[in-house]
Amino acid sequence: MNLKIANISKKFKGFELKDIDLEIREGEFFVIVGPSGAGKTLILEIIAGLLKPDSGEVYGIKNKKIGFIYQDYMLFPHLNVFKNIAYGLNIRKIDKNEIKSRVETLALKLEINELLQRNVANLSGGEKQRVAIARAMAISPDIFLFDEPTSALDRNSRMKTREMFIKLHKKTRSTFIHVTHDFEEALSLADRIGILINGRIIQCGKPDHVLNSPESKEIADFLGYKNVFGGSIENNKLNINNLNIIVPIERADFAYIAIRSDDIIISKDKIESSARNSFFGEVEDIFKKSSMYEIMLNVGIRISVDITRKSFEEMDIKIGDNLWVTFKVSSLKVFEH
Amino acid sequence: MKFKAIFSFLGLLLVLFIGIPIVKMMISTDPSTLVLTSKEPEVYSSIFLTFRASVWATIIALITGVPLAYILARREFWGKKIIEGLIDLPVIIPHTAAGIALLTVWGRNSLFSKATGINIIGTEISISIAMFFVSVPFLVNAVKDGFKLIDERYEKTAITLGATTYKAFFTISLPMVKKSIISGSLMMWGRGISEFGAVIILAYHPMTAPVLIFERFQNFGLKYAIPVTVLLILISLIVFIFIRIFEDK
Repeated sequence: MNLKIANISKKFKGFELKDIDLEIREGEFFVIVGPSGAGKTLILEIIAGLLKPDSGEVYGIKNKKIGFIYQDYMLFPHLNVFKNIAYGLNIRKIDKNEIKSRVETLALKLEINELLQRNVANLSGGEKQRVAIARAMAISPDIFLFDEPTSALDRNSRMKTREMFIKLHKKTRSTFIHVTHDFEEALSLADRIGILINGRIIQCGKPDHVLNSPESKEIADFLGYKNVFGGSIENNKLNINNLNIIVPIERADFAYIAIRSDDIIISKDKIESSARNSFFGEVEDIFKKSSMYEIMLNVGIRISVDITRKSFEEMDIKIGDNLWVTFKVSSLKVFEH
Repeated sequence: MKFKAIFSFLGLLLVLFIGIPIVKMMISTDPSTLVLTSKEPEVYSSIFLTFRASVWATIIALITGVPLAYILARREFWGKKIIEGLIDLPVIIPHTAAGIALLTVWGRNSLFSKATGINIIGTEISISIAMFFVSVPFLVNAVKDGFKLIDERYEKTAITLGATTYKAFFTISLPMVKKSIISGSLMMWGRGISEFGAVIILAYHPMTAPVLIFERFQNFGLKYAIPVTVLLILISLIVFIFIRIFEDK
């Protein structure tokens, strides 16, 4: 049965959710992604039934077992690793020997079998996370809820954790609902994502689709689009600072256009083509990134262009150089707000 | 180095201020008098009575105070500040005034006494009532602060794992505030033992240790008050040091 979140609104401790409408398929890996303060934890707590929404309802949750993994794992500090994992089983008054064998099997799977008698305070971040997952898995949940489970980890363990989540999802075939502020994480995990900004889900869909077709300036900003410009459009041209940018729509009183930094080409000579926009401008800034360079050019508007380290070195770009920037009309995203 | 020296010196002044009168009183007391005093039925029964009455007060405070502390730590509601102020009040008001206030509710002419026909003034119960009133803030505030430090998400996690609200409270929150409950109870119990003002108004007899000390000082002078005082202090000191050691383990 699918999980249906219908018209949920909730105000709570400075956070607010507004008219959340989502349908999450059974067995789906759904990632809710949004900046901190967007109300992500609130959604999870409402789905889990820990908080009552002010209005709206969650369908398909009754009698479902839930595995909730909070950001800081919430391992019970007065219980050792074994007792933490066994907590949900003890509550269900399962036979002691049965509990012991189930905990040990889980611990073996998650490679924490050496830690069972340890105090939870002395575990590393990654170990704590695996204990929390084991504790949730012990009750064989139908739905897993993950609240920013990787934000407390270093980069390396974060990558490993992503792999673990994917494996876990395949194995358990449970519904996974995961919230994060990290869009890259969402991309690597999700079947579908929902973008939550200021308490609203403002776009929902397959990760690639959302990445390539943001529906608003807000989403484009959140996805890291550096080139977002607004203006009026007439005869397929958006006029901004006396610059006429050819756009795929005919007219609009006001619209935004967005271009990804890696969809723009820079060159010393003009590239002639009717389906392209070409502008001439000066290099104002150069930022070194891990595998590429970001060049800021002023062509009347400031445009950010990503180029590979190799082409950067070949072109020998310096601040003050005058270069051409070119981008296809079809690579432009247009939205009205 | 200088920092440590100055801080140690200032701290030492405080320790001496408390320590000197106690040590001085102790060394001025002949051990044999102390032994003799401790064998006086009036003395040991009053010390036992004091300890016991404070234990009753503390037990009642645990039953009612822990739930109150939990609610004050976790919930927001209208009038919460008023309740918190009310709880703190017994610490500030003169304890004789507290005794007078208690008399209006539990005294011989009170509604309670008339309705039930029971007189509790001058009994051990009234001593416990007086002790409860003046010392319960120590327990409630300590436990409240303890609950405040515990992330609510621990309980929420327990609930998602299948626990009821009660079960989550008793298996998660309560064990996690164990230290605050123990130290709050001890503070309350200790404060109850030392109570004089409110107790003497509700019960001159049976005599608690503080009342006995007052009576001996009043009727026979300093010399006769000291042995009882030393005895009470010694026992209290031993109990508290023992508990602190136990607490660390």
